Order: sequence, then structure tokens, then C-alpha cells
Amino acid sequence: MANRIARAGGALVLVSALALSACSTGAGTDGGTDAADACTPSDGPVTLSFTTWLPGMEDAAAIWNEQNPDIQVEVQTGPNGLGGTYNNFFNQIEAGNAPDLGQIEYDALPNFRVQDGVVNIASCEGVMDAQDEFIDWTWSQVTFGEEDSVYAIPQDTGPEALFYRADLFEAAGIDIPTTWDEYAEAAAQIREEGGYITNFSQSDINAFAGLVWQADGQWFENDGEAWDVTLDSPESLKVADYWQGLLDDDLVATLPAWTDEWNNGYNSGEVWSWVSAVWGANSITSGAPDTAGNWAVAPMPQWNEGDSAAGNWGGSSTAVLKGSEHPYEAAQFALWLNTDPEALASMNATANIYPATKTGGDLPAFSEGLDFFGGQNIYDVFAAAGAEVNPDFTWGPTMTQVYTDVADGFSGAISGSGTLTDALTTGQQKTIDAMKAAAIAVNE
Amino acid sequence: MTTDIATPATPKKAVTKKTRAKTKATNNRAAVLFFIAPFSILFSLFYILPILVAIYQSLLTVEREGTFGKPTEVFGGFVQYARVFQDSSFWDSILRVLGFGIVQVPVMLGLALLLALLLDSPLVKGKRFFRLAFFAPYAVPGVIAAVMWGFLYSPNLSPFTAITKEINFLGADLVLWSIANVVTWVFVGYNMIIIYSALLAIPSEIYEAARLDGASQARIAWSIKIPLITPAITLTAIFSIIGTLQLLAEPQVFKSFTSAVTSTYTPNLLIYSTASVPNVNLAAAFSVVLALFTFALSFTVLKFTQRKAD
Repeated sequence: MANRIARAGGALVLVSALALSACSTGAGTDGGTDAADACTPSDGPVTLSFTTWLPGMEDAAAIWNEQNPDIQVEVQTGPNGLGGTYNNFFNQIEAGNAPDLGQIEYDALPNFRVQDGVVNIASCEGVMDAQDEFIDWTWSQVTFGEEDSVYAIPQDTGPEALFYRADLFEAAGIDIPTTWDEYAEAAAQIREEGGYITNFSQSDINAFAGLVWQADGQWFENDGEAWDVTLDSPESLKVADYWQGLLDDDLVATLPAWTDEWNNGYNSGEVWSWVSAVWGANSITSGAPDTAGNWAVAPMPQWNEGDSAAGNWGGSSTAVLKGSEHPYEAAQFALWLNTDPEALASMNATANIYPATKTGGDLPAFSEGLDFFGGQNIYDVFAAAGAEVNPDFTWGPTMTQVYTDVADGFSGAISGSGTLTDALTTGQQKTIDAMKAAAIAVNE
Repeated sequence: MTTDIATPATPKKAVTKKTRAKTKATNNRAAVLFFIAPFSILFSLFYILPILVAIYQSLLTVEREGTFGKPTEVFGGFVQYARVFQDSSFWDSILRVLGFGIVQVPVMLGLALLLALLLDSPLVKGKRFFRLAFFAPYAVPGVIAAVMWGFLYSPNLSPFTAITKEINFLGADLVLWSIANVVTWVFVGYNMIIIYSALLAIPSEIYEAARLDGASQARIAWSIKIPLITPAITLTAIFSIIGTLQLLAEPQVFKSFTSAVTSTYTPNLLIYSTASVPNVNLAAAFSVVLALFTFALSFTVLKFTQRKAD
């Protein structure tokens, strides 16, 4: 009897194994062509699923759903990309049940493309014509600078500027720094007052990338044959040295970002400024409610006096994920969502997004001063910064790994083992290793 | 009392059963299969199958052409395993949790044993209350416990900032032991219950005999109770070793409180971040090696303790 049971168990295992191999044969049969995927309308009404982490996306989708009874969009919300949604997307793509549409930040788009996770929608109606509507650098992020390639529709941007406590700077008689040298001097003065000029986040490596971006550095280059990894480029190391100097002199706080400790640092007035993206206004408003009215925004400090270079931190696109049965309809929605004034106004109202379209800055919401910033119209500063962002910054194909490994190094530097420069050189090697392990061609 | 009534009837029933079993053997087998089917199906689907998938995935490797060529999974033999054995951060993380286990497991089990013995001793009043009180932390989900302790340790947000500002519990030197404290806090009660229930199973005649021989409570605990509950202690030790190697929730939560916990701090964290790259094949290979390592270690401990018991 035991024998019989064992055999039955064995049969079960065998069936499972067969099911497994059936799954895996299904996954590997995609064609190897790079041309844009075919894009034709579906017959009859369709329902699209759309996963995003922007709060209030339901409102924008409701506007579309009312105008398009045959193309209904269902919004699912998840954690922010690196916080779990990308992980979910990768797993869903592997399992063949990804949503039709997904929010993907520009820095993650190469990762999704290299994993064959996003549909090239260049041949979908209206997509190529939309190029002129978007800020140039965002379009090159979604096309990778290639002809006949559009892997997502740009949604928003994150031009950076300097948020600062106007009241504290004034009371201490410190001028608003316009160069990084002045910023370091101000940091020392503020430290004498008992505060910190800013917080250096060991985990927001994309923010650090924004600083490198401003310094005209590059972390990756793709010549079509193989990738060049330049985390340790001279510009990158210059930025790292600068911040290491501030860390060594205990001139910047090192609170873990996006935690209650971090909110507390800003809310209590211990931390005086933050170089952040336009959407940072939202974070500071919600994280430091007690400081309302005392903040202001100025352009980023410059490496060379008189320059007006700006970095960019974040910004998302709307991509059609692999496995969608309705790429045509999905592309139509993505185009509408990110160009239609009503949709942009809705997303701005619920999630403070700053659109990636050239005319996005003309939204009525951007012409008003904000009480939290003492009535200043901060969007003027960010609009000016957006025009100065280097359009040719390239993201690598394994940014999740880059962020994790560099963050480990930065954490070490803050805990006293190694420096930010060490973190970048170690991250450089680990990135090359990870790319090789994923069979991505890389120059050493 | 029910057994008293049932016992005389048993032999008779057994005889009839035996004959029936011989005549209708096939029927019985069908019944057995029927009853084990729910278990075997679920076991295969959610236990065997995932393991097979992991092993299968770990034997694959990805190929692509150029920078954005489409990935194709091909059989790669032990390529991923070669990477596992070359990855120093993986072995560092194993060493880290081993160091953690060598200190934390004996401390935790020692405490659990002590509490169980106290509960079992006739000297303690209010046993029910203490049994529940000691066990209560286990009812707190591990993640919640870690968040709670994270705040307690925090230099700025802790209610005990007078202490946490002086001693950096979340710094690189101490954070491992801060995590050990959380794990101990959660699991002492759980292990205590297992040991305590083993103590309850010891026949009271043995204690009477010991007392007649003039043994003190301490002597009874040392010479009778502990030797008799060795199997339970071994069991909790094995569970704890497995739990230590699989540490994930606590360090994951602590990552948001401190910069000292990296993405490769424990083996499971490393696997998690490898899967996020995403490099599922390498992550699967890490998982298989970790599982084998855990098996090896658990069986070594088992063999070692059994030989000692003999």
C-alpha cells in the first residue's frame, strides 16, 4: 500500500513538473526582432488595467472612462516603483499576467526594456506625432534616442531646485547659496547655529544621480554594442568628494530618508534646506507641517558661478507592458493621460505632478503662489530649471541593482566604513558583475 | 475514564477489522488515497512544486545579443552556482547570521528553559498569568515587533532618548545584537511553551521518587527535568537555527531605521535584492544553496545532540 501511495505522490510531482515545463516553454518563444510591435485596434469594447502609485489616478481615469465607453480603464494602486511595484511588474511579466499599463520612472525604463517587459508602441496611431508635445529630454528617455522606438509616454519630470527655510536663513543672516562653495560655507555657519544645512540621504541614489546629472556627468553609455559603466566618472567623483567633505565635518544630517526621523528633522527646524525635485514640495508640506509658510525655493547651487545647470530627480512615464492584448487602446489612453489638459490638471490636483509636456507649465495651478512657501510661485523656479536639464543623461539597464549596491556603500560611508567615492568605485564593479550575470553586454 | 470502558471492546473490534482489511484491501487503498489526496495535492502544489521550480530556475541562464536584445533563457548547468560560490557578500551574510545564531540561540533557549522550569516549579504562584504573559510577544507579528523595537532604539524618536542618544543601538557595531534582542523577545515565549509542554509530560512518580531520595527542586530540575526534555530542547534548537539562517523581516524593517543594515545583511535579504534586479536564476541558486546549507547544519546539530544523548 505504501508503495502505491508513493507512486501516486510521484505521479503528482510528475504532473506538476510537466505543468512547469509547459509554462517555461511558453515564456521563451518571443521573436527576436527589434522592430516596433504591430498595433491595431481590438474588436469590441475592452477593459484595460493600469497600475500606478500616483494618488488620485482614479479621478483622471474616470474622465477618460466617461468619454470612452468602449475602452474602460481600471486603476490599481501599488507602492512606489522601487518600493515594490517594479518587483510586481517583473513577476507579472514573467507570469504573463501583467497589467496593460504601468507607471515606470525614466530610470527604470531601460531595466524593463532589457527584460523585454515593455511594448514598443511606435507604430500605434498618434504616438510618433506626439513627439513635439513633450519636453525633448523626456522624449529621448522613452525612445532611447532610437528611430521607430517609443517604449512609453512621458508623464512628468522632476527638475531640481533648492528648498530652504527662508526664516532661518534670514534670522541667522546667511545669504542663500548660489554655488556649491557657498553652500558648504553656509553649512558651516548653520552648524554653528546648531542646525544642519541639509540631510544627506544614503538611500536616495537617484537623488545623488540628479546631482551628478547637474554636474554634467554620466553613469552609463550605450553604443549599441555594449554598455559603458561610468559610476566613477570624474564628475561623479567630484560630487562624491564634495558631499564626503560635508559628512567628514559633520555639516549634514544623516537621517534615513522618508522616515519619521527624517520628517522630524525638517519639522523641528533641525534641517534647513533640501535640494529636491518639484514633487518634493509635496513631501515637505506633508512631512513638516509645523514649518508652513517659512519655506522658499531658489535655483540649485552651481559648480561654476553664473551657470544655471539643473539636475533632475524622478519623473515617470506610462508604459504598455508586455502581454497586453490591447496595445492600441492602451497607447491611446497613455497619450491622452499625459497630454490632455483635463487629465494633466486632474493629476496635478491629486498628485502634484509636473507634466512632461512643453505646455504643461501653463496649467492654471502653476500660476499661483503657495501658502506653504510664503506665497512664492515656486513653479517658476522649477520651470526655469526644467529648461536647463541636460537632455542626454542615460540610465543603465540594472538601476535597481545600482541603487541597492551604491546605497549599501553610502550607508557604510555614513556608518564610518569607507567613503562615498569608495561606494561609487565598488558600485561600478558590482554593476559590471551584475550586468554580466544577466548577460548584458558591458565594456570593462 | 472513557478509556476504561473502551479498552475491553478493542480486541474484538480489531479482529473483525483485520479480516475485513484482507478481503477488501483494494477498497481500503482507494479510501487511503482519497483521504491523503487533499494533503498531497496541496503539498505538491505549494511545497514540492515551488522547490522544483526554484531548482529548475537555478539551472537556467539568460542569453541576449547586444545591449537591448531580447533575453532567452537557456540551460546553463551550474553557471549560477559558480556565481554563488564566488559571491563574497553571500558568504559574509552566512557568517554574520552564524555569529548571530551562536550567541542568540543559546541565550534565547536558555531563557526559554529557565522560564519553563520556573512555570513548572511548585514554588511559583499565578502560573496561568505568567504563561500567557511570557507567550504574548509571540502573538505580535514579527514585522510589527521589529517596527516597535525600531522606534524604541531610535536616537531621536525613542521614549528613552536619554539612553538611545548615549548608546547607538542602531549603529554598525550593535545593530546585529539589537536585532537579536527583537528575535529573542518574540521567540522566547514560543520556545518556552514547547519546553513547558514537554515538562508537563514527565510522570509525577519520578518527582516523588526524587523527593523521597531528598532531592531539592534545583536538583530535580538539573538531574531529572532537563535530561528528560532534551528532545524538546533539540527541537527548539533546530527550529531556531533554521529561523536564524532565514532572518528577513527584522533586518528588512531595520533598514528603514538605520544605514547599518545593507541589502546583503542576511542571506535572505541578499536573495530578495537579487530577485529585485531582477535576476531570478541567480536568486534561485542562492536559495537552493541556502536551503542545503540549512539542512546540513540542522542535521549536524541533530546528529551531535543525539550522539551526546546516547
